[in-house]
Amino acid sequence: MRKDDVIVIGGGFAGLIAAAASAKRGKKVTLLSFGMGTLTVGSGIVDILGYNNDGTAALTPEVAVKMVEDDHPYHKIGLQAVKESVEFFLELCREEMYPYIGSLNEMKWIPTAAGTLKPTCLVPKTIDVARLKEIDTIYIVGFHCLKDYYAELVAKNLKTSLGSDNKYEVVMINHQFSGGRDVTILDLARWLDSEAGRAAFIKELQGKIKPGAVVLIPPILGTAPDYLVLDAVKKATGCHFIETVTIPPSISGLRLRSMLINHLKKMGVRMIEKANVMQSILEDGKCVGVVTDGIDRERSYYAQSFILATGGFYGGGLISSELGEVDEPIFKIPIQIPITQEKWSNLNLFSNEKQPFAKIGIRIDEKMRPLDEKGNLLFENVFVAGRNLQGYDFCFEKSGNGVALTSGYQAAMSV
Amino acid sequence: MEKATVVVIGGGATGVGILRDLAMRGVDVLLLEQRDMVHGTSSRYHGLLHSGGRYAVKDAEAGRECIEENKILRKIGRHCVEATEGLFVRLPEDDEAFEEKWVEACLKIGIPAVQIAPEEAWRLEPNLTHQAKSVYRVPDAAIDGFRMAWQNVASAKRYGGRLKTYTEVIRIEHSNNQVVGVIARNYITGEEEFIACDFVVSAVGSWAGEIARLAGIDVHVQPDRGTLIAFNHRLSSRIINRLRPASDGDIFVPHGSITILGTTSSAAKQPDDTIPLTAEVVELLKIGEATFENLRDYRMLRVFSGTRPLYSADPTAKGRGASRNFVILDHAKEGLNGFASIVGGKFTTYRLMAEKMTDFICKYLQVTAACRTADEPLVEDISPQLLAKARLYFPSYGTNLAVSRLGGAGLERVVKRMEKDPEKSQLVCECENVTLAEVEETAHDGTSFTLGDVRRKTRMGMGTCQGAFCTYRSVGALEANELNFGKDNIGLFKEFLQARWRGIRPIMWGNVIREIELTRGIYDGTLNVNGAIEHEKR
Repeated sequence: MRKDDVIVIGGGFAGLIAAAASAKRGKKVTLLSFGMGTLTVGSGIVDILGYNNDGTAALTPEVAVKMVEDDHPYHKIGLQAVKESVEFFLELCREEMYPYIGSLNEMKWIPTAAGTLKPTCLVPKTIDVARLKEIDTIYIVGFHCLKDYYAELVAKNLKTSLGSDNKYEVVMINHQFSGGRDVTILDLARWLDSEAGRAAFIKELQGKIKPGAVVLIPPILGTAPDYLVLDAVKKATGCHFIETVTIPPSISGLRLRSMLINHLKKMGVRMIEKANVMQSILEDGKCVGVVTDGIDRERSYYAQSFILATGGFYGGGLISSELGEVDEPIFKIPIQIPITQEKWSNLNLFSNEKQPFAKIGIRIDEKMRPLDEKGNLLFENVFVAGRNLQGYDFCFEKSGNGVALTSGYQAAMSV
Repeated sequence: MEKATVVVIGGGATGVGILRDLAMRGVDVLLLEQRDMVHGTSSRYHGLLHSGGRYAVKDAEAGRECIEENKILRKIGRHCVEATEGLFVRLPEDDEAFEEKWVEACLKIGIPAVQIAPEEAWRLEPNLTHQAKSVYRVPDAAIDGFRMAWQNVASAKRYGGRLKTYTEVIRIEHSNNQVVGVIARNYITGEEEFIACDFVVSAVGSWAGEIARLAGIDVHVQPDRGTLIAFNHRLSSRIINRLRPASDGDIFVPHGSITILGTTSSAAKQPDDTIPLTAEVVELLKIGEATFENLRDYRMLRVFSGTRPLYSADPTAKGRGASRNFVILDHAKEGLNGFASIVGGKFTTYRLMAEKMTDFICKYLQVTAACRTADEPLVEDISPQLLAKARLYFPSYGTNLAVSRLGGAGLERVVKRMEKDPEKSQLVCECENVTLAEVEETAHDGTSFTLGDVRRKTRMGMGTCQGAFCTYRSVGALEANELNFGKDNIGLFKEFLQARWRGIRPIMWGNVIREIELTRGIYDGTLNVNGAIEHEKR
């Protein structure tokens, strides 16, 4: 019977980071995953904190992290660990030859597919916005038959969000590979993966854009975690390319996921997919193993410590099957919830305050271990990371992937 | 100055019925609707074309009208009626004596209720509870309130009928005890105008009291709230009714890929008291579970509420106790000639109500033409050539849907757009098979002033994803085609998703909460719509 040092439950960003950080510490790690996590739904970038509690824009991610409320995961994790986790991530990316850029001392405002700007922290080089302020000719590239991206919408709203002094020009590209049917962003990224596709794309571009400009483009610069396509288009056109963040599927998220999986393989992490963890095996206030159901039979996995990174409501780490009830299905960790269903949410979907239901989650101590309603420690060797944590609304404050990174790292360090 | 012989107030089922009937009889008629068409009760109900079984015991007259109108609407409304048929199911807790009375009543009225063995019912509807004691087949049908209304309008337009949406009547003008016109205010621009007419008919359902008051007349309509749940599945192929005296939560109506369960009944504070409550949903689920035991396994899409316009000369009658019959009130009795209200009634009998009202108006105007609304189909036949052309661009199932939404003339214009630019055939809304060309055509039709108007006419955003994907696509597509209704497009995002949110907020558990996490993740987490709104405010 194999016994690991650490079993990570959940293959999303928090789980992948927790596994990587554990492996780096020399631990023997198994990652149990069921599904792909939300990296390909969100946008492969790491938002740390973009807005303060009152909805005002934060100066820098670091300043904002210092000001969070007591129940926020960042408060439990602490600024020092947040900094360490960012360094850990940047180094990992460099090692994998897919470096990310950004720091806690700088807020990056990146363009979205709606033409708005969104505050974030760590991004791949395909979203390097440094030149956006310096260059006033901005081409916005769109594609025929691509219904998930509207260059005209981006151009129109950038006039408001970025400034009306710039020259915005929409450039439509004919890819001619679909025979008139709808294409997705993934189709286009795969097109650029191929040499023929890249050549055709560059030829189309060269007739339409002048060197030295900024080019905004949907996230289609290849599906692999490298900058091969970015470098090729840059070199051929002499322009600065910036990928916008879009509705799913997210190609930059796909690249980040591939990179992390490659990394875990190299680090010798055992990865088991389609592992639907159903329950835990508890002995004397400790967890000794977890049980998965498979198509053939149940299987048990044993370890010294467990990191629970199963996600929130969307990912299935929290389940609300009945009115006013929220369950954490594996360890049955009690979850505090607002009293009545009407108090779960604000009257408006977009409002200037956090949605109460988004803050529902597992209460933890400084070591990321789960607590009950009274604040008593539930298990000594179980650590929690990611969207299942209590106290933050990532949509409102823009901390998507940021809490996952820092809590995944901190859980691994606390083991 | 705008002029019409008759002004119809109210763009619900009754109003459009009167519009069509008057237009077909050659009367110059203008319909005024305060918001978008069918924004009131006619779209906030089951979408059930009653066989009459529901009313058979309590109200034979209503039952008889239902079965007659049911037959007529199946014939004229092929493109908005889905002839599903229905089952009446008696469960162990339902009174057996009522079943006897019901069978007798159906026989007397002429509702073909055919008993089948429960085993046969389970074969037809595997999800139906195995507790069922007795089951009857009846000719119930599903009807789409939005489509029915727009098809009536399109038909009326062919005869010269006109309509104005977002036009509120704020005064009824009269001189020498005779109506001479109305003052109407444009809801969007706030502009007021006088519209001259010889006759005003109020067909406003729950709002009847408000309109009558404009002429200083009292009409006692008690709006009665009903809340309904839309499930993201067809729980059954047929409509399922409980065989018991009419009560809460005992009708399931399948529509396309969804099922609607309803309804509750409680006195409404005002006609637009339509924000659904969690407690109502919980109650509906509890009752609904008796019919479908696995009800809670199905994802709810959204919930919604409407108000039934219960009319009673006796102001103390309440809820289901009040009659569902309709009444024409000739306000000449109160001393004002040329003004009448039609109150009470129900969706299934809208055409009959319109016919009676139109007979009354024609008599007043001395018009002798007879009613033909029961004979002529709502949607003209589509030529096989046009259908064949449309099939080149639409997904196969989508062609039929498009015909039912657009009718012949509309379909022709949409196909033309696609022929000109095949890229316009892309599906903006995959859930409901809505193409970009149709969105553009609808946005241009002269009665669309908000994205919500386009949504109601096309069904874009009303399917499985509840706008998670098509909100971006539709706003983007409209912006790309310079069709943003003169609004800031961030506002369009917000408006579209907020409309969905109203129906999602009371039911935030199960897969609903998962879906809204995804939607928020996209629009707030990634696209920062909220941040952009706050940015603009500052």
